[in-house]
Amino acid sequence: MDGCIATTLGAGDPGAYLPIFLMIMGAIGFACINVVGTLILGPRRKGETKGIPYESGMTPVQSARKRFNVRFYLIAMVFLVFDVEVVFLYPWAATFSNLEPQSEQAFTWLVRIMFFLLTTVVAYLYGFRKGVFKFD
Amino acid sequence: MTDKLIYLWPEVTLFITTCLVMVLGLSPQAEVRRLCAWVSAVGLTVAAGLAANGEPDPNALLPNIMPFAKVVIAAVGLLLLMLLAGTVDREYEADIESGKTKFNPLRSNRAEFYSFFLFSLTGLMLCASAESLIWLFLALELTSLPTYIMVIISTRGAKSQEAGVKYFFLGALGAAFFLFGFSLIFGGTGATHFDDIADSIAANGINPILTLGLLISMIGLSFKIAAVPMHFYTADVYQGAASPVSAMLAFVPKTAGFIAIITICAAVGWNYGPNHTSLPEGLRLVLWITAALTMTVGNMLALRQRSVKRILAYSSIAHSGYMLVGVIAGPGPVGGSFTSNGLAAVLFYLLCYGFMNVGTFAVLASLKHADGSEADDIDDIRGLCSTHPLLGWSMVLCALSLLGMPPLLGFVGKLGLFTSAISAGEYAIVIVLGLNSAIAAVYYLRLIVTPYLDKPAEQDVLRVEKVGIITRPMVAVISAASVIGLVLVAQPLIEASSRAGVATRHGDVHAVEQAAALRDDINEPRP
Repeated sequence: MDGCIATTLGAGDPGAYLPIFLMIMGAIGFACINVVGTLILGPRRKGETKGIPYESGMTPVQSARKRFNVRFYLIAMVFLVFDVEVVFLYPWAATFSNLEPQSEQAFTWLVRIMFFLLTTVVAYLYGFRKGVFKFD
Repeated sequence: MTDKLIYLWPEVTLFITTCLVMVLGLSPQAEVRRLCAWVSAVGLTVAAGLAANGEPDPNALLPNIMPFAKVVIAAVGLLLLMLLAGTVDREYEADIESGKTKFNPLRSNRAEFYSFFLFSLTGLMLCASAESLIWLFLALELTSLPTYIMVIISTRGAKSQEAGVKYFFLGALGAAFFLFGFSLIFGGTGATHFDDIADSIAANGINPILTLGLLISMIGLSFKIAAVPMHFYTADVYQGAASPVSAMLAFVPKTAGFIAIITICAAVGWNYGPNHTSLPEGLRLVLWITAALTMTVGNMLALRQRSVKRILAYSSIAHSGYMLVGVIAGPGPVGGSFTSNGLAAVLFYLLCYGFMNVGTFAVLASLKHADGSEADDIDDIRGLCSTHPLLGWSMVLCALSLLGMPPLLGFVGKLGLFTSAISAGEYAIVIVLGLNSAIAAVYYLRLIVTPYLDKPAEQDVLRVEKVGIITRPMVAVISAASVIGLVLVAQPLIEASSRAGVATRHGDVHAVEQAAALRDDINEPRP
């Protein structure tokens, strides 16, 4: 079953890795061109506005190096739960539509994603009971 | 994957209980919060029942390991649960009851404590059902990750936080090691499924990459069982955590590690060496050295300790060494009995160790100083048999059993390790094992003599901790009773562990036939 991955990838055939090599080369090339391009084309100005952390955002009020309320982290974690959920849902949804409707396989897939959604609901419930969404 | 689901109902039950406990424990009503322990107990009992009626998996390398291991896990888990009850949040709950503070879910740790405990046991059961390297890795991590946090929240002191951080970083190192080892095993065989790994090894033999992978994963797994190259955390972590959590740390990750080691060794097979009954030389040598060093280092370091928890921590290291002897011996000849089956001996010893170990830690957890600190020093158990007879005798019995005294449970367990190693022809390690048992007697006798013969210390009166309906002294007494009582019913347990220790891939034609018969039996439609 899963054990056959290595043999189908063709571990002995370096030519199979050519697309990956091209992709890496493309990524490195893109980065280099951008750096070199800004060096040649970009204007050079210096000043106080230029030196602030977010050049085109809000003006900073004070230093960010201070203690934050622990709620920020809790919210970040709850966000992560849903973020991961969406990451899994996309490939699932893209593949599910290709399965034969009403088939046993489709049913299995549905049960699997439902179980996965259930686990995220539990995480959400836990966060809710823990008082993550309560601001006072 | 879906067809494997019928074996996973105990895990599913535990997982659902975990989710329930996680939400229940955060309820604003104190009565609902108190239900946590009871709901966990019900979940564990149901899981044990499901596991006891579980079918053997004819396609697995160790077809019968699942029912046996899961029942043992659930049984010791129940005992641990009784001990763990009331470890966290006791003062906080008392403050709420007296109206000093209002319940704040962010301050409460109860829900997390119970659900992490159950998560850990779920992971442990999943280790027993693992069918591929990835599954095994995830199950091992599910076992360990909750324990790191449990150590930290077990007491309010800085010591347990230090212990937890130490445990976490070394645990991450161990996990990195065995994950790297697993990846090399995959590289060497081209398979992640244990079945396919066994097929690949049978067809192509053992190559250097595979050997390297096996060695590195054994080193990584020695963290879980607290064996020599990765044993340094043990004493500090056991001492830093609250006694009930230390009892859990000595059983849960150790069982996970041993099940993982046995599963990986079963994929390699015990059909090398002159008689085709031992592991391949490289793997055997590593396990041999680890076992010998682990026993010796554990026992030697235990001799000089004054803290009972540290003694028990080093004894836990030494016991890992003893059990590794069973893994080296392997499942023995075809259709052999318990006395020649090393795997059965290991599985049975894990059960014995679970009970004896919980007993000793339960005695410590039952006693508190007047200032609220836990009993830990050897002076704290001085004359315990006259001041608290039940606790004292529980300590004496459990320590005697850990030592391996004949009528007790520990002896039956150790006997299997000795006889299986002898029948496998591993005489050298048997001598090391015998010598170490003699060294261990020195410090176990201190744990026996101090409560039994010494006069109680007068100045510092220890009080007995009473929490809830099932108190900690009761757990100590139950463990001590099991140390005697389980010997009386040892025969069915030994038979069950002998069945559990049958590996299908070490040329055991009988087992292969049995597995095939089982497969036919299951595939046939039931009337």
